[in-house]
Amino acid sequence: MPITILLVEDNEMNRDMLTRRLERKGYRVIAAHDGGQGHDLAHSENPDLILMDMSLPVMNGWEVTKLLKSDPATRHIPIIALTAHALATDRAKAIEAGCDDYDTKPVDFNRLQEKINSFVLEKRPS
Amino acid sequence: MNFQNLSIKRKLLLITMVTSSVALVLLSASFLIYDLNSFRHFLSDDLTTQAEVISYNSAPAMAFNDTAAATDDLSALKAKPDIVAAVLYDRQGKVFAQYVRANVAQPALPHDVPQTNGSRFRGNFLEVSYDVALKGEPLGTLFLQSDMSQWSARARSYAVFLLLFMLASAFLALLIASRLQGVISRPILRLEDTMRVVSAKQNYEVRALKFYDDEIGRLIDGFNTMLAEIQQRDAALQGANDELKMRTQELEGEVANRKKTQEELLTAKRAAEDASRAKSAFLANMSHELRTPLNAIIGYSEMIEEEIQDTGQIQNIQDVQKIESAGKHLLALINDVLDLSKIEAGKMGLHLENFDVATMIQEMVATLQPAIAKNSNTLQLRLADDLGSMRSDVTKVRQILSNLLSNACKFTDHGAISMDAERVVNGDHQWIRFRVGDTGIGISEEQQDKLFKEFAQADVSIARKYGGTGLGLAISSRFAQLMGGQISVESEPGKGSVFTVYVPAQVSAEAAAANNVKPPKEVKAPEPEPKPQAETILVIDDDPAVRDLMSRFLGKLGFHVVAAGDGEEGFRLAKRIRPVIITLDVVMPVLDGWDVLKRLKADPELVDIPVIMVTIVDNEVAALKLGASNYLVKPVDRDRLAELVEKYRGSHAKNPQPVGVGASRAADEKSKLNTTWDDRSRRN
Repeated sequence: MPITILLVEDNEMNRDMLTRRLERKGYRVIAAHDGGQGHDLAHSENPDLILMDMSLPVMNGWEVTKLLKSDPATRHIPIIALTAHALATDRAKAIEAGCDDYDTKPVDFNRLQEKINSFVLEKRPS
Repeated sequence: MNFQNLSIKRKLLLITMVTSSVALVLLSASFLIYDLNSFRHFLSDDLTTQAEVISYNSAPAMAFNDTAAATDDLSALKAKPDIVAAVLYDRQGKVFAQYVRANVAQPALPHDVPQTNGSRFRGNFLEVSYDVALKGEPLGTLFLQSDMSQWSARARSYAVFLLLFMLASAFLALLIASRLQGVISRPILRLEDTMRVVSAKQNYEVRALKFYDDEIGRLIDGFNTMLAEIQQRDAALQGANDELKMRTQELEGEVANRKKTQEELLTAKRAAEDASRAKSAFLANMSHELRTPLNAIIGYSEMIEEEIQDTGQIQNIQDVQKIESAGKHLLALINDVLDLSKIEAGKMGLHLENFDVATMIQEMVATLQPAIAKNSNTLQLRLADDLGSMRSDVTKVRQILSNLLSNACKFTDHGAISMDAERVVNGDHQWIRFRVGDTGIGISEEQQDKLFKEFAQADVSIARKYGGTGLGLAISSRFAQLMGGQISVESEPGKGSVFTVYVPAQVSAEAAAANNVKPPKEVKAPEPEPKPQAETILVIDDDPAVRDLMSRFLGKLGFHVVAAGDGEEGFRLAKRIRPVIITLDVVMPVLDGWDVLKRLKADPELVDIPVIMVTIVDNEVAALKLGASNYLVKPVDRDRLAELVEKYRGSHAKNPQPVGVGASRAADEKSKLNTTWDDRSRRN
């Protein structure tokens, strides 16, 4: 069963690019283009991991993360924040909202993949 | 009214009047007394003469015993109105004849006949006795009594005259005195007026008028001198006062000026702060806006690269790689600019921790292996035995060395690159000295001067040929300074360069601020490193996956790991096995991490065991307050965890435990992990 990743990203190009790259590596990717949709899909699809952009329309990434992490149904899903804000305070802000990890854009794809694997494989008995 | 309080004018007048009146009265009285006295003598002599005449005239009548004739003789005395009575006594003392003034009923005659001749005053009367004799033969005695009315009238008229005279002269004296007293009283009164003006109006300019050169004149002189003195003092005082006022005004002006300047400075400071904030916000936004498209550029080019490799159309791969490399260069540039702006804004903080120097270098070199190999260079690594560990910001040290090595690789072709590290002791200070040498193109002296400045790559053409942002050395130099160290360079064009970095072995906030580097010379003798031994770590976490992961990782580092699934069990195990280190999760059911920490720190047997909080909750301050030794936020930075547990293992080396896994193996495992986890903390 492939690892399902929910990608919440409003920038179309980045969404398309990341989706395709992840799919090339064998992941199943569900994409959401705003926070609200991301929140709904997290509930309906129950992904193994969420890649969350922070600056999102409708509902921003911090709000979605807080909602998901306070809900027993979605609390267990690891969330990696992906943001183009590269300052140290941004990292703290993401962690504070409940994100499990944090990475800056542009993503180092290999590093991201390692992070995804470490989260998902830790959870799944190998 | 009391005499003493009279005005001087009156006093003078009164004194003059009293004095002259007394003199006048005394004079008049003595004159009166003298005159009345001599008049009495005259009266007495006159009466005696009359008696002599009458006795001569009466003698024949007495001789002939003719009383009538004698009486007749005596009645001639009617012409003398002051004669009260006249009596002729015979030799036997009997009254022979007598005369009594008409208006006198009974004359007060003496009882016995006066025998002797002479006059005498008796009461208000003058009485004279005179012997009557004829041809030497005594016949009797004549007695005359006068009532002195003549004297009284004279005395009365005298007194009246004298009184009138005295009144006239007193009036005259008053007139003269009232004229003359002015000589004395006027200057004094004028002086008094002047004084009144001075005291009432505080006017020290008036002067008392001087009349004569007498004592009063001198008094007025003295008074005027005093006035002049007061006026002078007053003027001096006024002058001082004016000066004081002026100085005060000046001072107030100065204060106002300073205040204004201060306000201006404050405004300027606020403006500068606003500008700085605006700059920071601008940079943050720029960074964000640039990263989003860059993400697409790099991502798509990487993806295309992969696809090309998959399909085997190798001829296009170089073009795509160029796009990717340009994108990555742009990203590096953005990161460097952000770093620099953070340094400039003073926001670049230091995250100090203890780490093993040799391990850090080996890990870093491993990641640079492709760059070293690229230009067919060789790397010689020379690490001193006594390097040991240092306390510093590992990310920044690594970034400095990585930058120097990358540069060395970039500017050297088919050459030798060297990396030296040693511990240098200079007085109280211990330094770690890193040297990166190469046999590359070298740097001219003028280029060396600009080398560590922003955007000052030695040559513009270099950027085109070798790439690079030109910010790497500037950032490295700033990082070194931030830690209290420095970077210097020696180079000769065409022969190569040597970069030397000094970083304090123990970086502290103060040392970083002081930034006082003295080139050390002595080299300290190597110290034997304590051998790490397997010791027990207690892992308390309710998540079995975390427990498993931690156990495996720490086991690889050579620890004996005991895990507990909840707080209660964790505390119990801690009491029983006395671990060297405890890692503690915060969010746990029943007994959470804070409660466990409180209990551990309240137990005197467990209080010394270092507790590393491992949690998703970011509340480091609370943790440290409660006594936690360190605080790691999940997902755990394994580098840091490894360094922390190594640190505490060292401090408990005296507590021998069964050796499970060798130290060298632990280091190997750690470096393997690090190659994977290395970059994650680079940008954060």
